[in-house]
Amino acid sequence: MILLQSHSRFLLQTLLNRVQNLGKAVELDYHWVEFDDVRYHILVSMKNPNVLLLSVSLPIPPPEAVFIGGLPFGAIEALKAAYGVVVQILDPPRDGFNLTLKLNLGKLPLDEEHRYALLLKIASVREVVLGAPLRVVLKHLSSRTVIPGIDGLLALVHRSKESFFLVPQPDKVTVVFPMRFKDSIDIAFATSFLQEFVEARHTAVLNNAPPCLWSPNPPLELKEAPAEALSANAGFVSFVIFPRHVEGKKLDRTVWNLSTFHAYVSYHVKCSEGFMHTRMRRRVESMIQLPCCYLLAGCAASALHVKFSWNGCLVGDSDRNILPLQATQVKGSYLVTHVVSQALDRAKPGVEEKKKSPNSRSFKRLSLKEARANSIS
Amino acid sequence: MDPTSRPAVVIDYGTGYTKMGFAGNVEPCFILPTAVAVNESFLNQSRTSSSKANWQAQHSAGVMADLDFFIGEEALAKSRSSNTYSLSYPIKHGQVDNWDAMERYWQQCIFNYLRCDPEDHYFLLTESPLTAPESREYTGEIMFETFNVPGLYIAVNSVLALAAGYTTSKCEMTGVVVDVGDGAAHVVPVADGYVIGSSIKSIPIAGKDVTLFIQQLMRERGENVPPEDSFEVARKVKETHCYTCSDIVKEFNKHDKEPARYIKHWRGIKPKTGAPYSCDIGYERFLGPEVFFNPEIYSSDFTTPLPAVIDKCIQSAPIDTRRALYKNIVLSGGSTMFKDFGRRLQRDLKKIVDTRVLTSEARLGGKIKSQPVEVNVVSHPIQRFAVWFGGSVLASTPEFFAACHTKAEYEEYGASICRTNPVFKGMY
Repeated sequence: MILLQSHSRFLLQTLLNRVQNLGKAVELDYHWVEFDDVRYHILVSMKNPNVLLLSVSLPIPPPEAVFIGGLPFGAIEALKAAYGVVVQILDPPRDGFNLTLKLNLGKLPLDEEHRYALLLKIASVREVVLGAPLRVVLKHLSSRTVIPGIDGLLALVHRSKESFFLVPQPDKVTVVFPMRFKDSIDIAFATSFLQEFVEARHTAVLNNAPPCLWSPNPPLELKEAPAEALSANAGFVSFVIFPRHVEGKKLDRTVWNLSTFHAYVSYHVKCSEGFMHTRMRRRVESMIQLPCCYLLAGCAASALHVKFSWNGCLVGDSDRNILPLQATQVKGSYLVTHVVSQALDRAKPGVEEKKKSPNSRSFKRLSLKEARANSIS
Repeated sequence: MDPTSRPAVVIDYGTGYTKMGFAGNVEPCFILPTAVAVNESFLNQSRTSSSKANWQAQHSAGVMADLDFFIGEEALAKSRSSNTYSLSYPIKHGQVDNWDAMERYWQQCIFNYLRCDPEDHYFLLTESPLTAPESREYTGEIMFETFNVPGLYIAVNSVLALAAGYTTSKCEMTGVVVDVGDGAAHVVPVADGYVIGSSIKSIPIAGKDVTLFIQQLMRERGENVPPEDSFEVARKVKETHCYTCSDIVKEFNKHDKEPARYIKHWRGIKPKTGAPYSCDIGYERFLGPEVFFNPEIYSSDFTTPLPAVIDKCIQSAPIDTRRALYKNIVLSGGSTMFKDFGRRLQRDLKKIVDTRVLTSEARLGGKIKSQPVEVNVVSHPIQRFAVWFGGSVLASTPEFFAACHTKAEYEEYGASICRTNPVFKGMY
C-alpha cells in the first residue's frame, strides 16, 4: 500500500454487511477513531434496522480556519450532491460530533454496481466533508475563476488544531503544508523524506506532476498567516496545482491526496523506520555469528538505540558497554578490553600515539590484574 | 489532545486469526487470518550488474518491494492467484516466529485496516502465558521504536479471557482458562487475577491438528478434493459442520442409519482448472473434535485427553484454590466453538472428579463424607474473540492507562520494562 485509501475500510465492511442482511435485525453501536482525530460512531437499533445513524467528529479547527456551524464551508452542499436522497443530515448532530447522517438502507439503488459505488462514497464521508472547501477551490480552478470574496490566503484544517494554506489564483492554486512531527527521529526522517520527494519530482517520468518545493522557512505566500501557524519543525512543502491536475476524474484523487498529505508522509516515515529496523535486526543477526561475539552481543542489545550509522554504533556503543561487560565477564574481560581497544584504535587515529607512551591511560590498563595493582598501591 | 482521551487499540494476535479493534466496543473491527504475502520477485534478481544506473534501479525496486505485501484474506487470495507472492505465517504455535513478517503485519493492521495514527493511541497486545521475556521485549522494542506508541500493555490472553466473563455474569477472577486456538492449546489456572505459572499445562493438539485430521480422513476415504485446496476445504468443513458427540459408537450408528440426515455435501471450484467438484462430509463431522477427548485416534505420541489434562492442572494448583477452579472453567479460542464442546468437557471432567471422590471415601471406610465438588464449564457466545473482548473491557477502564508502560519509561529504562508482567507475580 503506497497511498492511503479514501474510504474507511471498517465503515465499508459494516455497511456492506448491513445491506446484505437487511432482514436480520441487529443492534450495532460502534465507536472508532481514524488518523488525524476523525471519530466515527455507528448506531443501528433493533426497532428500526433499516436506519443507520453515522456520526462523524472532525479535528478541532485552529482559529484561522473557516468553520460554519461546526463544518468546513461547502460541506453541506457537497454531502447533498454526493448522497442524494439516501442520506439525511440531522440538525443538530449527536452530542460530541460535528455531523450526523441518517442513512435509509431501504432506499439504496437495487442495481449491484450503483449500490456498491454509493456505499463506497458513504464510506469516504471524511473525504467529502473535510475535502469540501478544497474541492470548491479546485472546481473554480478548473473553470479558471476565483471564488468571489476570497482573496489571498485560505486556511483549511487537516489535523487537530493545525491547518494548511491555499493561495487561489485564476490559473493556479498554491498549497502550502507546514509539516510538524512530535518525535525528533520522525523530524529527521520526514525532512529527508520530503527532500527526496522534491528530488523525485525532477525525474523525467513525473514531468506532468504538480511542481513541488520544500523549504525550512515559511515561503513568501504565508507572510499574512498568523505567527503561531508558522512554527513547523519539518519545514514547509508547497505544491502548485494547475487546471490540468483537476480535470474530470482527477479532481477526487487530487482532493484526497492533498487533504491527507500529512498522514501520507507520517505513514511513510513509520514505514521507513520499520524497514530500517528490519535491516538492522538482520545485520545484527549476521554479526552475532562472527568470532568476536563478545563485543557484538553487547552491541546487539542496544543496536536499536543507535540508529544512524553502524560505525558510530561500534565506537559509541563500545564506550558505554565496556564497563558492564567487564563487571560481568571476569574471565573474558581482558579479551573484551582488547577487542574494544582495537576497535577504538581503528576509529580514532590519535589513540595510536597515546598508547605508546607508558604513562597514558590506555584501555589495557583497565584489565583486572593491573586494576587491582593500582588499587593496592 | 492527550492520547489517553482516545480509545486504546486492542490487537489479539493468534496463530490462526488476529482480532483487532478499539477498546470500549463489544466486537473487534476485523478478524483476519494471521498471514502475510510478500512479493519476493525482487529479491531473486541477479545482483551481478555493473553499471550504477542498474544498481539504482534495483535498489529502488527493492524499496518498492518493501511496501508490496498484503495481509489477511487479501494475502491468501494473492498467493493463490499469482506466483510472485509467497505466503508466510508469522506466528507458530502461539509464539511469534518471524519478526519481520510480524512487524509488517502490525504495520498493515494499524495503517491500512484500523487506519489510525499509532502515536495517538495506547496499545494493548496479547501474549500466551508461555511467551519468553525476550519476545516480550522484542514486541516492546518494535512498538515503541518503530511505531512510537505513547503507551503499551502486553496482557496475558488467559487473564483477558477470564475478564471477558467478569462483566457478563459475576465478579470472578479465579478460574481455569481452557484456551484452544489454532496453533496452541493451554490450560491456565488463574487465582484472583494472578496466573499460577507452575501449573500451566499445554497440549500439543490444537485447531490446526483438527484440520489436518479432517484432511487426512477425507483423503483416506478418497473424496474428490483437489490436493492444493484440501487443507482449506478441511478448515472450512471444520468451521461450518463439526460438532462434539456424546458417544462415538452411538454417533457412528446414527450416521449409518440415517445418512441422508447426517452426511453433508461440499461444493467447490477447482482453483487451477475452474471445474466444479463436490464431496461428502461424513464421520469427520464428529471425529474432528473428538481428537481432544480421545487423542489416540490422531497421534500416537500424546494420548492424554483434554479433561484429564485440566484435572491434572487443577490438582497441581494450590489446594485452597482447587474448588474455586473446578467451579469456573472458562473456554476461549476458536477451537472450542464446536457445538456441545463445553457440555462434553463438563461431563468427562465431572466423571473424573467423582471417581476420585468415591475412591477416597472408600479408602476412608465411609466414615467421612466430603462435600461434593462443583464442576462448571462456562461457555459464552463470544468465545471466538473472548480474549479480545476482555482486552476491550480492560482497556476502557481508567486504571488501564496507569498500568501501561509509557514511552517515557521506555526511553528511561529500555526494553527491559516489558520483561515482566505483574500477573505472574502474585502466587510465588
